[in-house]
Amino acid sequence: MKKLSMLVLIAVFSIALPVSSAMAEQFNALGRPVNIMGYITQETSYGFRNAYDTEGNFNSALMNLFAEGDYTPVDNLKFYASGMLTVDWIYQLKHNDSSWNDKLFSKSRSNLNVDDKYWQLLKEANVTWTPKHFMFKVGKQIVSWGELLAFRIMDQINPLDQRRGFLDIEFETTIIPTWLFRAEYYLPYKPSWLQDLGFEFVYNPNADFISDQGIKVGNADGGIWAPDVPIPGVHMATAYANIREPKRWKEGNEFAFRVKGVIYDSVVTLNGFYGRDNSPVTKFVPPFMAPVPPNIFASDGALLLHPFQEGKYPLLKFVGVTFARDIPPLKASFLGGVAPTVYLEARYAFDRTFAFTNPLSPFPDQRFAESDELTAGINLAWKVKIPPLNPTTYFNITGEFIYQRIMNYPDIEVISGLKRNNYQTFLTVNTSYFHNKLTPSVTWIHDINTNSNFGIFKLVYDYSNKWHFTLGAQFFNGAKEGQGFWVFDNKNQIWFKVAYKWG
Amino acid sequence: MKKVKISVICFLVLFLALTTMTPATWAQEKLTYEEFSKRKAWFDDPRPYLTDFYKRFVSPELYSKLTYDVEEMKKLWAECVGFRAPDVVGKIALEIKPGTYSYKDKEKYPFKELMIPRHYDRFKPGGPPHAGNFPEIKVIPTRQYYWALPIAKATKENVGRTKLDNQGYLINDSYVAGYPFPRPEGKFKAQQIMYNWEKRYSNFETNFTWQKSKGFTGGLKEDFNTELDSLGMRLHGRVCMEPYGWLDDRAKKEGEKQVSLIKFYSPRDMYGMVIGISYYLNADHFDQNLMYINALRRVRKMSATDTQDAIAGQDVIYEDQDGFSQKLSPKRYPYKFEVIGEREYLIPAYTLDGSVYYSSKGLELRNIEFERRPLYVVKLTQLDKNYVYSSRTIYIDKETFMLVQAENYDQKGRLYRTAEVTFAFVPEMGMTVMFGGLLADHIDKHSAIPLLFVQPAPFLTRENFDFGALFSKGK
Repeated sequence: MKKLSMLVLIAVFSIALPVSSAMAEQFNALGRPVNIMGYITQETSYGFRNAYDTEGNFNSALMNLFAEGDYTPVDNLKFYASGMLTVDWIYQLKHNDSSWNDKLFSKSRSNLNVDDKYWQLLKEANVTWTPKHFMFKVGKQIVSWGELLAFRIMDQINPLDQRRGFLDIEFETTIIPTWLFRAEYYLPYKPSWLQDLGFEFVYNPNADFISDQGIKVGNADGGIWAPDVPIPGVHMATAYANIREPKRWKEGNEFAFRVKGVIYDSVVTLNGFYGRDNSPVTKFVPPFMAPVPPNIFASDGALLLHPFQEGKYPLLKFVGVTFARDIPPLKASFLGGVAPTVYLEARYAFDRTFAFTNPLSPFPDQRFAESDELTAGINLAWKVKIPPLNPTTYFNITGEFIYQRIMNYPDIEVISGLKRNNYQTFLTVNTSYFHNKLTPSVTWIHDINTNSNFGIFKLVYDYSNKWHFTLGAQFFNGAKEGQGFWVFDNKNQIWFKVAYKWG
Repeated sequence: MKKVKISVICFLVLFLALTTMTPATWAQEKLTYEEFSKRKAWFDDPRPYLTDFYKRFVSPELYSKLTYDVEEMKKLWAECVGFRAPDVVGKIALEIKPGTYSYKDKEKYPFKELMIPRHYDRFKPGGPPHAGNFPEIKVIPTRQYYWALPIAKATKENVGRTKLDNQGYLINDSYVAGYPFPRPEGKFKAQQIMYNWEKRYSNFETNFTWQKSKGFTGGLKEDFNTELDSLGMRLHGRVCMEPYGWLDDRAKKEGEKQVSLIKFYSPRDMYGMVIGISYYLNADHFDQNLMYINALRRVRKMSATDTQDAIAGQDVIYEDQDGFSQKLSPKRYPYKFEVIGEREYLIPAYTLDGSVYYSSKGLELRNIEFERRPLYVVKLTQLDKNYVYSSRTIYIDKETFMLVQAENYDQKGRLYRTAEVTFAFVPEMGMTVMFGGLLADHIDKHSAIPLLFVQPAPFLTRENFDFGALFSKGK
C-alpha cells in the first residue's frame, strides 16, 4: 500500500509539476477535461523561550507539497484525487544539534519528520456520481458538517491531524480524509416555503481505522509541541498506552444521517450520528507513572515520568441541529449596510464515555463511565466598515461561543480537563489593504473555565496569484497551572511561510 | 450489527441499481474550457471565433428555435423603440467618418466631442495604470441592433402595462414580459431606462458561460487570474425558451427573478468553490447567497446584504455586476435619478465575429470597431452618505437598452471604479451576449479584463441551481 501510494503521488506530481508555470491547467483526456493544481509551502518558526519543552530558536521547518486533480469523463461523473507530502526539515537541520538531541526532540522524528503513511500521502481519492436528484460519493473523502469554524460540534465524521499543534497549516493538512460512502438525495418538488430539501447518508465501513492525531505527551513523541506538565522536578515523557482500536470492517462501522434544507432563507439541518469517537478515552493503569530506562532524567535533571494508560475509542451517538441565517434588521448603514449572519449548532450525545478520576486517591484512580452531553455553539459573522482604519475594505469580524454540559457529572469524582459546564470563546478579525494584497488578522481563543488564552497575529502578503508570504506570531497563556493553554505557555513563537500555488 | 450491515448493503445495491437507469442530467454537449481556450487565446489572438459559431456549435434543433427572420426583427424592434439607430446619429463631429484612426488623429479630429471621456482617455497606446487602451480604432457605419422576435413581440404587446409607483419605483406585479419602457419618457424617464436595463434579455434566458478574468496592478503586472463557469436562468418574463412566463409556480409566488450558479476553477484557493445566488424581484427581499466553501467542504449561508465590498479583491462589488445590478429601492440606499444626456457617442461596436483581442504587450485592445450610437446618460445621485458611491453615471444604449459604461464616484467625489461591458451580437438570433469588458479601480490603480463565452442552455432546470448542485459541483 505504501509503494502504491508513493507511485500515485509521484504520478500526480509528475503531471502537476511540469505545468507549474501555467494557470489552473485543464487538459483533455478522451475529450473531457482534467484539472490539475496544487501548492508548495515552506514554513519556519522561531520560539521565544528556551525550556525543556521548547527550543528558544528555530524549532520547525515544515514543508507541504500538495497536488490535486479531477477528471470528468461525463457531466455527472467526477474523479478526484489529492496527494500530500509533508516534511519537517528541522529534523535534518538539527540532526547534530546538542540541545535538540538532549531534550529528546530528535526521537520524535519517526512521528513528525516525514508523513509517509499511505493515508497521509494519499489524501483524497473518490468518485462522485450525480444522476438527476442524487449524489453518490465513494472513496477517501471529507464530509464536513456543522456551522462553527473554531469548534467542532457536529463535525465528527473525519478525524483531525493536530500533531503539529497550532502552526499555520492549510486545511488539507488538518482534516484527515477517510474511506466513506456518501449518498444524497434532493427533493425535486417542494412547497414554496421550503426552498430546498435534501437527505444525506454517510457510511463508514471502517476500511482502515484512522483516529484523531493529537499532540503527544513527551518530547520524544510530541516533538516541539509536547505540552508542559507542571509537576515539580518532573517532565512527562512518552506515554505507554494500550488503546484498543476497532477492528477493520468488523467493528467501528459508522452511520450518519442528515436532513438539510433551506426554509425561508435559513439553512437548517437535522443530524444523527452513530459511530466511534475519533479520539480515545484513556485511563491510568499501574504503574500509572514511572521512569523507563534508558532516559530516566531529562537534560535539565528533572525526572522523566512515562504515563501508563489503557483506552478505547468509545461509541459516539448524537443527534443535533444547525441553523444559519442572516439578520437583515440588524444591518446599519453607517457600519456599511451588511447584516450579521448567525450560525447555531447544538448536539446531544448519548452515553458518552469519559474517564472519571477519584481526586481523593493518592494514585491516579480512574474508571470509564458514561454520561449524556449537551454541546451548543453560536457563531456571529459580521462585515463592518470602519473608514478611519480602512477606507476601502470592510472588516470581517467572527465570534464564536461554545457551551458544553456533562449531564451526569459525578459529584465527587472529576473528569480531567472538564467541569460540569464548560465554556470557550473565539474571535477573529481581518481586513485587507492595497487591493487585497495585504491581509492582517487577529485571532483569539479564550477558555473560560481555565481562564487561558491563545492569540495569533498574522500578516499575509499576496505578491501575486502564485506567490504568498505569511508572517505570524502566536502566544499562549493561562491563569491556572497545568490547565488549558497554560501547558503551551513556553511555546510562544513567530513564524514565516512562503507559499507557491499553481492552479 | 451484522444484520444492520447486510441491510444497509442491500439497500445501497438496490439504490444504485435503480439510479443506474437515470440518464445523465445534460443531454447536450457544452463547450469545455479547453475548447473555449482553443478558440480564443488570452492575448494576441485576432481569430474571429464567433463567426457562425452558434450555427456551428448549437444543435440544429435549438438553433432553429432561437433564430428568426432578421428583417422581421428589425422592423418590429424599430416599431417598439420608435427609430433605427442609423437614422438618429451623424449629427455631431461630422468630420469623423467610417475609417481607421490612430490615437494621433485625436489632434486632427474632434474625438473629444464624440467620445465618452473615459474612452477618449483610453484612445492611446497601452500603458499604466490600466489595461484596455486602444491605439487604433476602426469606425464603422452605425448598425441597427434589435432583439429576438419573441422579445420584441412581448415588448410591443405589453407597452403601457408596466407601472411605476408615485416615487418612480417598479410595481413588480404589473410587469409581464419584454422591455417595460421601450420609449422612456416623463417624470420618471431615468428610472424607466434603468428598469429596462434591469429586465434585460441579454445572454439568453438560460445560459452556460465560461469566463476567465485577469487582474493587473497599476504597473500592468498580472496579479490575479480566475476561471469559472456559470449557469444562469431567468425565472420571470420568459419569452424565448420554455416554459414561457414564469419558470414555475414557486418563482411566481416567491417573486423570483433569476438564479445563478458559479463554480471557480482558478485561482487555486478558489478551486471547487461554488456560489449559488437567487435573485428576487422585490427590492425589499434580499437575494439569497449560499456558498460552497471549498476549504471547509461546507455550504455556508452568506449575508445577502454584503453588496458593497469588493468581491475577492477584484475591481467590482456585488452591485457592480454586469456594470450595474443594484436593486432600486426607496428604502435602501435610494438614488435621485436624472437623465443628464441624450445624444450620440462613438462607442465600441458590438462585435459580430469576436476578433477583438488584447495584446500581450501593453494590454492594448486591438481590432476594435467603434460606431456612433444613440445613448442615454443617466446620473444616479446616492442619497445615503454611507454608501460606497456618492453617484453613478451610466451610459445606456437607446436602441438596445444595454449598459455601455458605468462610472462610479466615491463619497469624496473621486472617480472610484468604472465598469465597461462589451457585447457580441448574434444577428440571426437577435441576441446580445456579454463578450468581455474592462473593470478599473481608479483609486487603487488596478484593472481587470474578463473574457466570456455564453451558450444557450435551455435544458437546464431548477435542479441545476439548487442546494444539491452546490454540493455536487463543489470540491
